[in-house]
Amino acid sequence: MTSPQNPARVKEAPNLAAWRETIARLPLTLRPILNQQLGEWDTLFPFEQNKFRGFLDGVNSFTPLELDVLTERLRKLELQMDVRHWKFSEASNTMENAAELARSEYYRQWRLEIQRINDAVDARTLQIASKEPQRKRLIVVILPRQLPVDAHTAWEHWKARGDGIRIAGGAEEFSDLLVKGGPGQPGIAEILTRDASCDPEDLWLIDSGARLNMLLPSAFSHAASLSYSALKPLRDSFLAGLNTMPKSISSAVEIMASLAKKDWTPWFPPELAGQKRLQRFVIDLFLSGNGALIFSNAFVEWAASEAMRRARPRVLVARFGMRSKPKPFTSIAIFENQEKVSTVPDVDDPANSAIDAAILAHYIWLAAGRYPEYEQSVCLCISGSLDSAWMIAPPELGLDHSTGSLSGDRLYDTIEKWITT
Amino acid sequence: MKAAAALLVSEWCASQRAVLGQPLAPAAKGNSPKVIVVACGGVRRFETFQEKGLVNIPHLFGELLPQSLFFPYIRNAGVTSHYNTISSILTGAWQRIDDWGKTAPENPTVFEYLRKDLRTPQADTWLISSNKALTAQIGASSVRDYGPKFGANVIFPKQLLINAIVNAAAQGRADHSAERAAMQPEIEAMLAADNYEGLGWSVFGGASALDAPTRASVSQAIQDLVTTNAPVTGDEFTLLVSLEILRRFAPSLLVITFSDVEVAHFGSYSMHLAGIRTMDRLVHELWNEVQSNPSYREKTTLFVLPEFGRDLDGSVTNGFFNHRFDNDATRLTWLMCLGAAAKRGDVVERPIQHIDLCPTIAEMFGLKAAQAQGTSIPEIRI
Repeated sequence: MTSPQNPARVKEAPNLAAWRETIARLPLTLRPILNQQLGEWDTLFPFEQNKFRGFLDGVNSFTPLELDVLTERLRKLELQMDVRHWKFSEASNTMENAAELARSEYYRQWRLEIQRINDAVDARTLQIASKEPQRKRLIVVILPRQLPVDAHTAWEHWKARGDGIRIAGGAEEFSDLLVKGGPGQPGIAEILTRDASCDPEDLWLIDSGARLNMLLPSAFSHAASLSYSALKPLRDSFLAGLNTMPKSISSAVEIMASLAKKDWTPWFPPELAGQKRLQRFVIDLFLSGNGALIFSNAFVEWAASEAMRRARPRVLVARFGMRSKPKPFTSIAIFENQEKVSTVPDVDDPANSAIDAAILAHYIWLAAGRYPEYEQSVCLCISGSLDSAWMIAPPELGLDHSTGSLSGDRLYDTIEKWITT
Repeated sequence: MKAAAALLVSEWCASQRAVLGQPLAPAAKGNSPKVIVVACGGVRRFETFQEKGLVNIPHLFGELLPQSLFFPYIRNAGVTSHYNTISSILTGAWQRIDDWGKTAPENPTVFEYLRKDLRTPQADTWLISSNKALTAQIGASSVRDYGPKFGANVIFPKQLLINAIVNAAAQGRADHSAERAAMQPEIEAMLAADNYEGLGWSVFGGASALDAPTRASVSQAIQDLVTTNAPVTGDEFTLLVSLEILRRFAPSLLVITFSDVEVAHFGSYSMHLAGIRTMDRLVHELWNEVQSNPSYREKTTLFVLPEFGRDLDGSVTNGFFNHRFDNDATRLTWLMCLGAAAKRGDVVERPIQHIDLCPTIAEMFGLKAAQAQGTSIPEIRI
């Protein structure tokens, strides 16, 4: 955690020329995402780099004849789809690529073929790669006290798995302790550094406000910490750039490309200074939409989901917050800077912020469920207003919470042990 | 706001006289059927006609369902983008065209079948939309022998408000004045402009400058709009314009598309639910208007349907935010049919498709949608 990238997880230097040759052997529609990753190599997270290498190693393990057989159906589909005559970018995944594919009458078959090929290559990769040990992980999602979560419906999204618990000493106080630490109780960042193979991106703190970053001990400032409020100058500037976009896809593609290439360094908050990967991550997040530029809680959910997809952190702490009430014209011009559109002062909207946060908190857990790396995970969703939490834990955690109540210290000890063993 | 809606329609009247020199009243009169279609964006069954969603649709469920012919399973098997879906509903054939409306539908729309075969004027068919993803191309196909000369009037009332707000914000005026008042000069400036294309209007042609009396009424109406304290949503404004169209032109076929629910793309579930409740209320208001308007009472059939659902919670496409996942949560939705062609309240569980609507409507007018792929829904008959 003390260096930007742990040498233990850096594999051999990239062999870009050889990888480009391998990509060129693949069908057309498989190339954009791989070429895009090559072009952004230095800003990929270690997990992405390893996955990329693994995939191409898997491809190279097929003989030319085997690869032809594996990809024959996809190549035929591409002919039927007439991809060669589309304005289809091989260099990167563009909006236009996605739109062309989605409106093809062969789209469903195409997706199935892509899935079949990926599965076959992944199976090969598993055969030839050294098996990484399954790591234990932790996801903490915080609905802070100012969000009045409805006690009757608070956990209705979660009921398929897990249990409600009370945390003696305060649920939100427990989450503070976990991040900041206390006397004789190191914070989560320090706990993680006991593992020599730990990377900075093994801990992500994603916050609608700035509290998590404030709680994080300064010695561990290399952790991936993103604050929606701290990103305000960047968001405002980015939104202004997006709003120059006319309503035509060719303009949209051009403007998105120019926004992607622009140097946004001056607009990043100090805690992200020099963190090129995280800066790129934020720009990618804003470019991919999903409300990350508009609503703080959408930012928290989407950033957390993308962090798990791209970096597979061992510990992720996500903290939701308050949004303002819609102003008279908000729903009509939602993509505008609301401060400029209206001089009506911002007024908190606690009830609806709680509704938004409740479903988005569950979406974070659902996102984790898509990846095998998170099979051994403990998930705590903490509600400050209810002073309780929902906990999903594998039996291996060994925590008896049948009484429905736990002391904060006991929960802390159990989680510390879980992460470090 | 009502006055603002009325003035928009007044402007249309004025320009229509000058440009086309046609009578304003539609040709179809007497007992000929009237059809209104309301497409309400992407709405999952879960948030509407399933147990936990009923609270969001008190009017649709409590008041309109008992008198409707209800189809709980209608499938969108096409491209689940707005432009392609609305085009598919209108043409009865799955459209696979540019998602952002750069090209016209590739099969004749129900507007064109109606206007060509019944020789009705343009004022007899309208599409009024809140949705920014549509363009004026939606009103007519690119098919030879059909096309814009048989197309519908297409208007986007919400665009007027958006542009006013954006202009005010861009010029910094909103920083120094009350938020509604800041919009007033912007809206007036746009109404006074020579070319309405930027607002998505396809009815004006090139000669749309307003005369002095109309402009005066415009100013008064905008004044009314900006001084009201009622919250403004795009769909509310769209409905008000639609009601004005109904009252002044009594068109035979009116298609309305709402889009407040699309705030879901930005991740606010509570605002998405508020959009559903607004839609529920506005459909009820529309139905009440149909019941009280002599031109529509007892001869109108109202269809209400979501364009598609939204993606499943936990999907890689981020659940309710989007509508592109190939799953029943996105593809399977419901259709409510009220009025003249729904003789008795009933639930028809047989699955139907969005492309079945066009041939069904055509048949209600005694026409055949020759190029539609869908099939007429037998339970819906005049």
